[in-house]
Amino acid sequence: MSFKNILENWSAFRKDAEAGGHHKYDHRWGMAINLDVCTGCNACSTACYAENNLAVVGKDRFEKGQAMHWMRIERYWDDADRQFPERGASFLPMMCQQCGAATCEPVCPVAATYHTPDGLNAQVYNRCIGSRYCSNNCPFRVRYFNFYSYYETWAEPLNQQLNPDISVRDKGVMEKCTFCVQRIRASNDKAKMENRAIADGEVQTACAQACPTGAIVFGDTMDPNSAVNKLWAKHEVKRGDYLSKKPKVNAEKRGYRIFEELNVDPSVMYLERVREEI
Amino acid sequence: MSGFKVNRRDFLRVLGWGGASTALVGCDMPTTVTLEEGKEDVVAYFMPEEYVIPGVGVWYASTCTQCAAGCGIHGRVREGRALKLEGNPESVINRGKTCMMGQAGVQAHYNPDRLTQPLMREGGALKPASWEVALKKIAEKTASANGDRVAWLSGAVSGHQAVLINDVLNTFGSKQHFVHETIHASVWQAVARDMLGDAQPVLRMDKAKSILSFGADFLGTWQSPVHFATQYAKFRSGKRGVLIQVEPKMSLTGGSADAWVAVRPGTEGILALGIAQNLVKRGWAKGEVPAKLKEVLAKYELGMVANATGVAGDRIQRITAALKDHAPSLVLAGAPVEGGENGYDAVSAVMLLNILLGNIGQTIEPAAQFAEARMQARSGGTRGALEFSKLAAAKKLDVAFISHANPVYHAPGFMKMKDAMANVGFKVVMTQFPDETAMQADVVLPLYSAIEDWGTHVAAYNGGVATLSFQQPLMEPLYKDTRGFGDVALSLLKQRKPKEYAAFNDYYAYLKASVSNMPAAVAKGDKNKDAAWNALLQKGVLETKATVGKFKVNTATVAAVADVSADVQFPYRLLPSARLGLWDGRHANSPWLQESPDQISKVVWGSWVEMHPVTAAKLGVKSGDYVRVTSAQGSLEAQAYVFNGIHPEAIAVPLGQGHQEYGRYAKGLGVNPYAILNPVIEKKTGEVAAYATRVSVTKLDKSARLVHMGSSDTQMGRKLVSTIPATVYRRTEGEA
Repeated sequence: MSFKNILENWSAFRKDAEAGGHHKYDHRWGMAINLDVCTGCNACSTACYAENNLAVVGKDRFEKGQAMHWMRIERYWDDADRQFPERGASFLPMMCQQCGAATCEPVCPVAATYHTPDGLNAQVYNRCIGSRYCSNNCPFRVRYFNFYSYYETWAEPLNQQLNPDISVRDKGVMEKCTFCVQRIRASNDKAKMENRAIADGEVQTACAQACPTGAIVFGDTMDPNSAVNKLWAKHEVKRGDYLSKKPKVNAEKRGYRIFEELNVDPSVMYLERVREEI
Repeated sequence: MSGFKVNRRDFLRVLGWGGASTALVGCDMPTTVTLEEGKEDVVAYFMPEEYVIPGVGVWYASTCTQCAAGCGIHGRVREGRALKLEGNPESVINRGKTCMMGQAGVQAHYNPDRLTQPLMREGGALKPASWEVALKKIAEKTASANGDRVAWLSGAVSGHQAVLINDVLNTFGSKQHFVHETIHASVWQAVARDMLGDAQPVLRMDKAKSILSFGADFLGTWQSPVHFATQYAKFRSGKRGVLIQVEPKMSLTGGSADAWVAVRPGTEGILALGIAQNLVKRGWAKGEVPAKLKEVLAKYELGMVANATGVAGDRIQRITAALKDHAPSLVLAGAPVEGGENGYDAVSAVMLLNILLGNIGQTIEPAAQFAEARMQARSGGTRGALEFSKLAAAKKLDVAFISHANPVYHAPGFMKMKDAMANVGFKVVMTQFPDETAMQADVVLPLYSAIEDWGTHVAAYNGGVATLSFQQPLMEPLYKDTRGFGDVALSLLKQRKPKEYAAFNDYYAYLKASVSNMPAAVAKGDKNKDAAWNALLQKGVLETKATVGKFKVNTATVAAVADVSADVQFPYRLLPSARLGLWDGRHANSPWLQESPDQISKVVWGSWVEMHPVTAAKLGVKSGDYVRVTSAQGSLEAQAYVFNGIHPEAIAVPLGQGHQEYGRYAKGLGVNPYAILNPVIEKKTGEVAAYATRVSVTKLDKSARLVHMGSSDTQMGRKLVSTIPATVYRRTEGEA
């Protein structure tokens, strides 16, 4: 291999993060979550349990922090020091942010968590040895570890509801939100068989499909015509913006990514909550 | 049909139609339907049934029955198993969306504690029996029963199920159909009927620019939550409406409010009259204000109202101004207001605001009711159970049928429902689960789950579009000795009127015949009946003609709202708050819904007692400490949850737990606040005033960590949920 060749190949991967960084992407699945219409109702979270074979751990294990809610709604009180919370509660749907520069990936000793060509942080269950390094390294606390063989607790015939499109995880394995990868794969295959590109809206995650107010929008952020991409553009949130080390260009736009300062390049954009002064 | 002489009008009546004259075509009704013919044969897995493509999910349209809202659903079926439910985009109720209870519909179906065979009381205990024996017993016991000594107690029902219940009672000459729902809007409906001339007006949140809600948890538990959530999304888009929520304890809807206003529990009606007075005084009231009304409002000056409600005078003025500035508005009243001892007057005061603000005809439109009255929704509140319990206790009932309801658990403790039922001669309970009521029955008939059964549904609140929503089985029944509700009702009818119902082998045949003979007055027919039937099942919903009402506005019923009395022995008001998820307790047997945190407190798997930090300090209580809540009727014990989203004079204990039966996930978990309700009845509607019980609280010498989700209650300075003022939003997105 000539020096020239190395340089040429090297430059092929020396793109900034907005252009995919050192990855070569086919799709980059992403989300936009409008916190102004999120009501904190839990429909998304329950839909996730139904779609993804999530284990119910029970009261005692919940207390130990072992609940498996891939999609959870955090509730914060911003007026805790006042007499009453006069601006309501602050709800935050939190799930794996499918970071472009994920902190969970490089620490996995067995490469069980890796980056897919469509921008997901995949978790290979049968490669996972349960070191839990990834979980320790996740700033969003969205990785969940199977401390027990929960399938043993699925009382007959509750187990008949299990989704056969994805596996039931066993003890010692880390798991997390996959952006409903089984739905993405199914739609991908269908589009391929019909010799066409995957259409916007064809894949919906279980949470986005259930959301009664349509607060969650899911799609391919690389598709210029996708609803999610249009939202990202409208609110001036760009992938890889962290490289500029600049504060948000337009402070009046509602879009932001959580922990932007950590430079992990999340695939989920949130839209700020709005409150009227009465 | 052949062999029996049934005249055409009777035939149509039997099928649920009023008897509009339509030509009858020959009825070649299929005798039976199964999704999986030849189920008994052992077939190798690699030789699937003709309609099964291994690995491919198929979607069927149906209707959700997790609450009475009537959302349309799509169920995913793979290899004969129902796996996942989604919203049906064709449904005008939910527009393709679902709530958490809808998602958990599959767990009601696959629940490990379902009843799998009929039970009969023998020597004091319930013992397994066959359907033949159980039905024979019912025939024997009901043969000589007649008139109003026969009663049916159900939850909210509609469509052909309501018709069948009605027809069973008709065979006895009884008119005693009681409808019991713990979570209801009966007082709101009564007031709407009296003041607008329409009990179920359509609320156009999408047109409103401001909503003032007095405790109406329309995103969580009020009437049709998913429908209102879709409307709310439109309300918040574009120019973005303003939501002001006034309530004694933060509901899910309160969590989304621009302004959450804590009000002294029971004084919401006084605040509404205060705002009305302020509107009139500032000359902002639309239309002529009758002199009598001015007289009523005269004493609700800011100072007096602020004093009574605990809401400052300038706040009241700002709320009034916000309603004027963000027109058109919409003013609602929910459970804490409806459930007061002054409920009717308080809700009337709230409705008056809609009239004074000119909302009638703007954001409040006349209902469009389903054209066939007999299929319209029978919704009810707690009055049904109260009347039923009184009749039962007075030994005025020989036979009681109970379906879609669990009154022994749901009825407030003071009704002594269990004891009352002991005085009913013969009790037939139709249910899916071994619930508290089933345990008191003489015969228990195990029903199909909603995912196995047929049905039609007409929503009580339909958002202005009349539809008939179809429920069809998504899979074969899990248990061979369970039956569909319609099939059971038909069996009861066949016992008493064999000729009229002989043509229908099962509920499917009945429904198909009924839909095929739908009068033109309800919906346009299709010549090809089979194709039309299949198309209906595929779509799941049928838009029908509607009876559209006309408003007749009347403010004569608006009266002064009585203030709540203080009580030294019982200083706090008990709020038996409802929550989306466990609902009234019917979903306490779903592991998903038990593990899904309460939206506000984030507590899981149990009961808790909510109180304000001021109250907690007075009692020396912190979150996690056990407390005893005592009313004149009894007491309960649970852990305290201290937060500031509740008025200091209120104590909230959520509904949903405290089951004594109902399977492994529900039994023995938490407490039921309805057990300690005082027997206070709202006089004008006869409903139980569920929010009018006064309690005292004592600290117990026991404490534990309150099991809940999340480790931090605040954002601790991080930008997690960021908020911007509406002025910025209006500048950048408001006109979009």
